[in-house]
This record gives sequence, C-alpha cells and structure tokens, in this order.
Amino acid sequence: MKKLLALVAVLALFLAACSNSSSESAENDNSTASEEVNLYTSRHYDVDDELFAKFEEETGIKVNVISGEEDELLERIKREGEATEADLLYTADVGRLYRAKEEGVLESAESDVLFEQIPEKYRDEDNQWFGLTKRARVIVYNKETVKPEDLSTYEALAEEEWNGRVLIRSSENIYNQSLLASFIAIDGEEQATAWAEGMVNNFARDPEGGDRDQAKAIAAGIGDVAIMNTYYLGQMVNSDDPEEVKVAENLGVFFPNQETTGTHVNVSGAGMVKGAKNKENAIKLLEFLSAEEAQGTFAEANYEYPVNEAVPAAELLQSWGEFKEQEIPLSELGTNNSKAVMIFNQVGWK
Amino acid sequence: MRKLSYYLNGWTILSVIIVLSLLSPMLPIIGGLLAPSSENWEHIKEYMLQDYMKTSFLLVFYTAVGTIVIGTSLAWLIAQYEFPLSRFYKWALILPLSIPPFIAAYTYSGMMSYTGVIQTTLRNVFNMPVNQKFFDIMNIPGAIFIYTMFLFPYVYTITRVFLTQQAASLVESAKLLGKGPWAIFFKVVLPISRAAIIGGVSLVSLEVLNDYGVVKYYGIQTFSTAIFQTWFGLGDIDAAIKLAASLMTFVVLMLVVEKLLRGTKQFSYSNTKVNPLPKVRLTGFRKWGAFGYVTLIFCLAFLIPVIQLIDWFVLTWGAIPNDEFTTYIRNSMLVAGIASVVIIAGSLIVGNFQRFAKGRIGKVLPKFTIVGYSIPGAVIAVAIVTMFIWLDRQLGSLYSAWGLDSTLVLSTSVVMLVVAYIVRFFAIGYNAIESGYDKIGVNFSLASRMLGASVTKTFFKVDIPLLKGAIISGLMLVFVDIMKEIPLTLILRPFNFETLATKAFQYAGDEKIMQASQPSLIIIAMSALAIFIFYRLLDKEDAK
Repeated sequence: MKKLLALVAVLALFLAACSNSSSESAENDNSTASEEVNLYTSRHYDVDDELFAKFEEETGIKVNVISGEEDELLERIKREGEATEADLLYTADVGRLYRAKEEGVLESAESDVLFEQIPEKYRDEDNQWFGLTKRARVIVYNKETVKPEDLSTYEALAEEEWNGRVLIRSSENIYNQSLLASFIAIDGEEQATAWAEGMVNNFARDPEGGDRDQAKAIAAGIGDVAIMNTYYLGQMVNSDDPEEVKVAENLGVFFPNQETTGTHVNVSGAGMVKGAKNKENAIKLLEFLSAEEAQGTFAEANYEYPVNEAVPAAELLQSWGEFKEQEIPLSELGTNNSKAVMIFNQVGWK
Repeated sequence: MRKLSYYLNGWTILSVIIVLSLLSPMLPIIGGLLAPSSENWEHIKEYMLQDYMKTSFLLVFYTAVGTIVIGTSLAWLIAQYEFPLSRFYKWALILPLSIPPFIAAYTYSGMMSYTGVIQTTLRNVFNMPVNQKFFDIMNIPGAIFIYTMFLFPYVYTITRVFLTQQAASLVESAKLLGKGPWAIFFKVVLPISRAAIIGGVSLVSLEVLNDYGVVKYYGIQTFSTAIFQTWFGLGDIDAAIKLAASLMTFVVLMLVVEKLLRGTKQFSYSNTKVNPLPKVRLTGFRKWGAFGYVTLIFCLAFLIPVIQLIDWFVLTWGAIPNDEFTTYIRNSMLVAGIASVVIIAGSLIVGNFQRFAKGRIGKVLPKFTIVGYSIPGAVIAVAIVTMFIWLDRQLGSLYSAWGLDSTLVLSTSVVMLVVAYIVRFFAIGYNAIESGYDKIGVNFSLASRMLGASVTKTFFKVDIPLLKGAIISGLMLVFVDIMKEIPLTLILRPFNFETLATKAFQYAGDEKIMQASQPSLIIIAMSALAIFIFYRLLDKEDAK
C-alpha cells in the first residue's frame, strides 16, 4: 500500500511538473488580483462571463469559475468538505440550492443590500441562497389551430380534449421535475399523480429533445400545445436561424393558471458555501448581480425575468404580458423533487 | 528460464503497481456494491431497472452489429482493394471519431428537424409537405444510427491493421483454392480477424453503455439514465453508485470470460514482416460499387455533419466571444497530450508484463483496467474527487511544510483531471498496445534475451521499435478521445480552465447547437490533424 501511495505521489508530482505551465499561469492570475471569489456554476451563459468581467473591472475582485452540472458540482463541494475553495454555488434551478442547503453545505449571508434588491420570496428563509433571475414555464400554442380562449390551466391540458395534442420534454429534465414538485406542493400527491397520468395520455409523441424542439414540433404539426420555458422562446425569437424565428413567430404564449394558482416559475440563484473563504467578496458579487444594471443585462441579453422589482423585463417578455406567479415557497420545489421523479416513473412519463 | 523470471520481477511489480493504482480510485465504487439498499431501491427496481436495461441492451446489441458490419466491411475493402480515393479513405474513415457523439446527435436532429435544412428545402423550395414520422431521429433507431456512424472507426482501425499485416497468406491460400471474394470474406477474413473485431467492438459497446449525452437529449432511457435519475432526481448518490458498481461488475465478468475463452487461442508469427496483402484493383461496376459504399458511409459519418456545422458556424459568426479560443486549444492539447503519453507508457509496461506472464491471473489482471471505461464518466469523477481529497489530506503536513496555505493542492490543480483521463482511457491505449504485442509475439524478445540482453534492454532495443505502429495508433485513439471527453473535464477541472469540449458542451447543453458549432469544429479540425499526422507516421511504418 505504501508503495502504491508513493507511486501515486511520484506520478502526481511528475504530472504537476509537466503541467506547470498551466497551473502556474492560473496562480499568477490569482496573485495579480489580490482579491478573488470562487464560483461553482451550472449556468453557462456568455452573459454571465460578461457580468463577471464587469464586476472585476469595477471592484478589482477576480471571479474564478468552474462550470459544470449542478448535481456533480454539489457532490464535489460535499466531498471537498471544509477545505473547499468554492465560495458560491450558482445554479439554474432553485431545487438544487434547496438540496445543497439540506446537505448542509451552505451557510447564511447577511446583507441589507441583498435584502432590499431581492424580494423575500426569492430568497431562502435563512438567507443561505438568493434567487437572481427567473423564467416562467408557460404554455405555447399554435396560433392557427388553438385559440387562447381554449386554454386555461396546466391541469386542463391533462383532460380528454387535448388527447394526442400535448408536447413536453422528458421527465429527466429538472424544469419538469420542479413543475410537478410545485403541483405536489399545491394540490397534493394524489392530484399531481392524476395530472401526470393525464398528460402522458395526451402526449402527441414520446418526450424527446429539449424545450426548443417542442416549439418546432408545434410548427411541424405534431402537436398543438407545448409546455416550455420563456427563456428558450426568447432565444428562438432572436435566433440567428431565420427558420427558427419563423417557428417562434407562429407561436402564442399563454400564462396558465392565472385565475387559480398562478404560473410556475423557476428561479436561478446562488448559495453561500459553508466556510466560504472569500465570503465578503461573494456577498459583493451577489449584490452586484442583483443590482439594477446586472439585472437589466440578464433581462435584455438572456431573456430571463429579473428578480429585482426595480428592473423591467425585456421588451419581448413584456409583450407577452404580466402574469401571476405560483405562491408556494420555492423551497417546496426542492422538498418534493424526489417525489416528483417517482411519480414520473410510476405513470411512465419518459 | 529461472533467470528470465528473475528479470521479470521488476516488470511484474511495476505492472501490478500501475494496474492497482488505476483501480484504486474505483474502490469506493466497488464498495458501493456492499452498501445496504436504500429506501429508494424498491422504486428503482420496479420502475427503472427492467425497462432501462432492456433499452441499453438493444442499443448495445444493434450498435455492435452495425459497427461490425460497417467496420469490418470497410476494413476489408480498404485492405484488399484499390478503387477511386481508396488511399484517401484509408485514413479518412477514422475521422468520424473526431466528432463527439453528443454533438453529432444534436447536429443530426438539427438537420432533420422542422427548421432543419432538409425539411426547409423540401418545404420552401419544392413546396412539399412531409410526414414528420420519417424525419424523427430522436428515438432508439436514431441513437443506434448515431452510435454506429461515429463509433465504427474503432472496429475499422483495428481490423484494417490486422488484415493488412496478417491476412495475406491465408487469403492467398483461399484464392489458390478457388474461393470467390465473398466466400473469402465470410469464410476466412471474418474468422481470422475475430480477435481484432472483438477488441474494437468491446470499446464500442462500453462507449454506448456509459454514454449519457445522446440518450439524454433523445429522451431514451438506458441504464445510464437510471444511474443519473437516481442520483440527480432522487438525490440518492449511494444507490446511484450501487447501480454503477453493478454495471461495472457485469462488464468485468464479460471481459474476463472473453479473455479466458480466447486466452489459449493466440497465435504469434515468428516473422513480423508477414507479406502484406497484395491489393486487387477493382474494375467496372465493382469499382464504383465499392467507391459508392465507402463514400456513402464517409458522408453520413463525417462530411454531412461537418458541412452542417460549418453552415451554423457561418450563421453565428461574431455572435459569440472568440478571443479566448487559443487558450482553449492550448488547454485541450495540454491535457490530452500529457494523458495520452502517460497512458501509452503505462500500457507498454503492463503489456510487456502480460505477454510473459505465466498463468491466468497475469493474463487477466490488465483487463481490469477497463473498469475505468465501463461506467459513466460522472460516477468516475466522484470516485476521483474522493481519492484526491483523501490524498490531499494525507499530504497536508507536506503542504504546510512547503508554506502553502491551501489544504487542497492536487485536487484543485489540473493533475486531478489528467489522472482521471488516465484512469478512464487507459483501456483504449492498452487495447492498442496489447494487440501490438500479440502481433509481434515473443520470439524476437526471447532471441534477444537468449543473446544476453536484459529484459529492459530488449524492451527498448527490440520491442519498442517493433511496436511503433501500435504506439502510434494507441496515441492517436487516446488523444482523439480525450479531446472530446465531457463529463470528467467539466467536473474535475481547476478554476477558469476551459477546453474546447467544455465550451462545446456548454452551448449544446443549453440548446444552442449553432453556437456550439464553433468549438466543435475546432475539436474536429484538431483531431483530424492529429489523425492525419499519426496516420502518416503509421504509413511510414507500414512501408518499412
């Protein structure tokens, strides 16, 4: 065993020597900027990088990033334990932040600026995580075959009249898991199961592809309505591909459950990692990202809804109208996630 | 003879150490087998396992059949016949390996979709409405198509080399006995290249088994899906590791059985300069038939997706920031380069040990290195992180003695990533090297030692020169694989370390396949260049 360790160590040193060029340059980068903040992020948008660069420019604090998939990054933080270099965990879905909190890898952060810029419902009750942007999960429909009057709620899509007309992606996707989790929180497990069952019966085809693919399937006449995120629709309307723009233009956006429980919203946000070594800088970054300027950038460049109420949504998003959101605590999305997955499996939602 | 085994000791110890260090990160995963069942286990068993395993089996089976048919037939055509462009195709048929399967999956579904080039052309130019059913590629047959097209070069490469160098005398004899080309192919070529085909197809099968990118996008539920649904959806990583461990056990059992069955049927030639297979020049419709078939495969597996990517590249030109691309290229080259060299060096040592090893344990032991390639990358990543954090803790006092204030040194450096690549891709390199050793046999080395040279001297003076071809093709396969690797690179990289593959994944994962075209094309171009260079070296070797 000792020999084996020695070999691993020697091998490691050898590799370290070989790869000096890269690690050294990384270290140099760190030393030139005296201040830094380390981010594990599952959001990988160019707009985030632009904002980080701007933050560095304004404050002199360098933002170091590892971007990966959320669950894997969470697992890395867990295993790194107290020694972790991560200060913030930034995810595209609030359910993961809840899970991080449950696993005990987050801690509270106090900042009056944050409390002022981010409404209470988009924050963790213990201030361990903070929502930064949101997307609505809406119904889009074929303007030619469906009238907005025919639409009302998510629940209605599970009814007979939509048989063979509904499109949605696979249950493996986190946005769908959060959607069902919200129904479990609002209506209870039984009704949520019945809804999922009804949806499966009404599928126009087996779930495949991403959100954009559902929109294309409407254009192709495979189905008449789809559930998708506003964020992706915004991308399509402004796509570089003229064919995608054409597809998006023929789609109507409908905010469901306006008379009842409200439209489902996913929140993207960041949690303060326990034992963060650059906690102050991390708070500064959160303050920067939730301030009006950055929120405006999220809205305009990425078609996300800002959480900061002082900032208007992008014009395109505004053109779809105002809407009422679900009123459940966001942490419920996390609590009910595994239940949602089990229901999906039981009803055979691929 | 006693003297020989005495010399072997150093090699044996070194080889055992290499194999064990490759296996050591897997311990926590193997330990997962023994973990008690969680409360989710019943649910997993009832709703996920059976169906998902069936789908996985279907994917592996049909992809295996597809790659055998395409890989072997192409290898035979290229090795035996001359027809238009056959010299170009000899190396160009390896190019599909340079396209990451998940990018191919996105590209094909993009092309076939309602807004894709095929349907829009039919609709806008010819005013032809089409039945969507015929254009849906995001299903099980579609996934099989993607895997077959972008993985067959594993079978093609290994089989072609084998046929070129080994098949001549047998094929000649068959011809003298009056057999026609089809009979020769089925009665001679297939049986004698069985080992090479199995070697290639087992890599293909493992790649299909542990793939997550393609099936996730296509909405297909496989054993990988079960692992990740358990981990991500149910939040139960222990059960996920248990699933991965079962997969690993299954794969190892299959491989050991295969090796034991095959172990005794090895044949080595006393002469490495077996007459190369003389080429037959095809004429008439046979010539164009062969040309058409090979060209069709090349177009589907390389040319068409690349043209589509170039089209997207042009559409999105200027839309994404590209000032950092030289850094991404450098990073990709750096990690892929170091890891492939280490893998090949290790494979040479272990392979040399293996061929002289007496008894089955020695023969089978190196096979275990394939566990790194048998389970989904993200699970390996967890194992590697665990190992490195443990290692960092052990070395903690050393770090403070050096005056480092951080307690995580190795695990926050690129070393962790490179080691992960080595653990994952060792089997690919080893496979190539082992078949090289099989080919040269032991006679030259024994002669060298009989004449008084030590094992080590023989290794450098006799074995390495003879193995040049295997070394080159091993380096090429590993390098190209690492260039496009995804889950490990994402999870295990140090801060601010972007590679071409991580960039491509980030765009594709966010449904921005058009933007993903830019890094993807660079990956393809660099891998193609590597393939070309290695091929030229290989060709020189062949010509010697």
